[in-house]
Amino acid sequence: MGAGETQVKVWDVPVRLFHWLLVLLFAFMFFSGKSGSEWIEWHMRAGYAVLALVLFRILWGFAGSTHARFTSFLAAPSACIECMKHLLARKPSPYPGHNPLGGWMVLVLLLALLVQTGTGLFANDDLLSNGPLYDLISKATSDQLTMIHIWNFNLLLLLAGAHLIAVLYHAAFMKENLIGAMFTGVKRLPADAAGGVVARFASPWLALVLLAVTALAVYLIVKRPF
Amino acid sequence: MRTKLLAAAVAVAALGGASLEALAQTKPDVMVAQRQAVMKLQGKYLGPIGAMMKGAAPYNADVVALNATFLENLARMPWDGFDPSTKGEKSKAKPEVFTDTAKFKAAADTLEAETAKLGAAARAKNEAGVRAAFGGVAKACGSCHDGFREK
Repeated sequence: MGAGETQVKVWDVPVRLFHWLLVLLFAFMFFSGKSGSEWIEWHMRAGYAVLALVLFRILWGFAGSTHARFTSFLAAPSACIECMKHLLARKPSPYPGHNPLGGWMVLVLLLALLVQTGTGLFANDDLLSNGPLYDLISKATSDQLTMIHIWNFNLLLLLAGAHLIAVLYHAAFMKENLIGAMFTGVKRLPADAAGGVVARFASPWLALVLLAVTALAVYLIVKRPF
Repeated sequence: MRTKLLAAAVAVAALGGASLEALAQTKPDVMVAQRQAVMKLQGKYLGPIGAMMKGAAPYNADVVALNATFLENLARMPWDGFDPSTKGEKSKAKPEVFTDTAKFKAAADTLEAETAKLGAAARAKNEAGVRAAFGGVAKACGSCHDGFREK
């Protein structure tokens, strides 16, 4: 730790677990989606898990810890420009949580994942496997949603790539270890940056309850027992 | 005299053959529509068996026997529709259909063989045999789609 730096806990356990589970599932979805019809059943099951996780993260964005909340990281355009200047000047960033650009990226990624899982529910493979909500719509509509499912995945790859490049930029040019922080939850920050914000951490039990709620919601969507 | 007659007969046969062949020259876009129709019908008769295999519908040996027999016949129909003349037509057929013809033929043969097994088991009202053969049919469909059909 350099002079004038301080270590601050910013990411709670639910955010970190969400992030790394999503990374693993995303890799699996990529693999199973491209590996042909033999993998489709597992692709669908893992997709339900992604949907439950994304819905959980959205709820956590309203009810979670300080730096998990949308209100804490969806910043005004002026802040985004300010952030861009920091990045280009390679000055250590004064943001404890997501920086303004990263914050918007979180929202875009979550929305793209919602589109991806949502269209997947209605998709078909012109064979024996249909999404659990395929029965509710016409084949033509399902075909259109399947195309969106395919193209939106390319968008997701692009977004994930941009996310990765940004994190590597922080590591290479700004000496900021964002990847480590996503494991430990602790960030090294300029001493003056941390002073302003005192993070409040929500109970992990609340996270567990919310995750149970979203998992149940996905279960009901998939099984439609009513 | 006999040779003249023979020559005439040969000429008529050749002309007749030629004209028949000309009649048989189905337009490429029609061929594409026809092979797609076969695929759609395969879906029609495969779907109900698939639902029974998944447990989404009760097993009905009569429906399975009828559908499997249709499938066995349908499985032989699409292939001459992948004529080289259809290469430029708009369809989901990958270029490999026309470049990797040996592999495509093997995939076609596999489907014919697997649907024949399914048909035999279905007509024998052998549910365990149907379940075993169905996996082979589904795999044959899937692997050919994976290799030769655009998403």
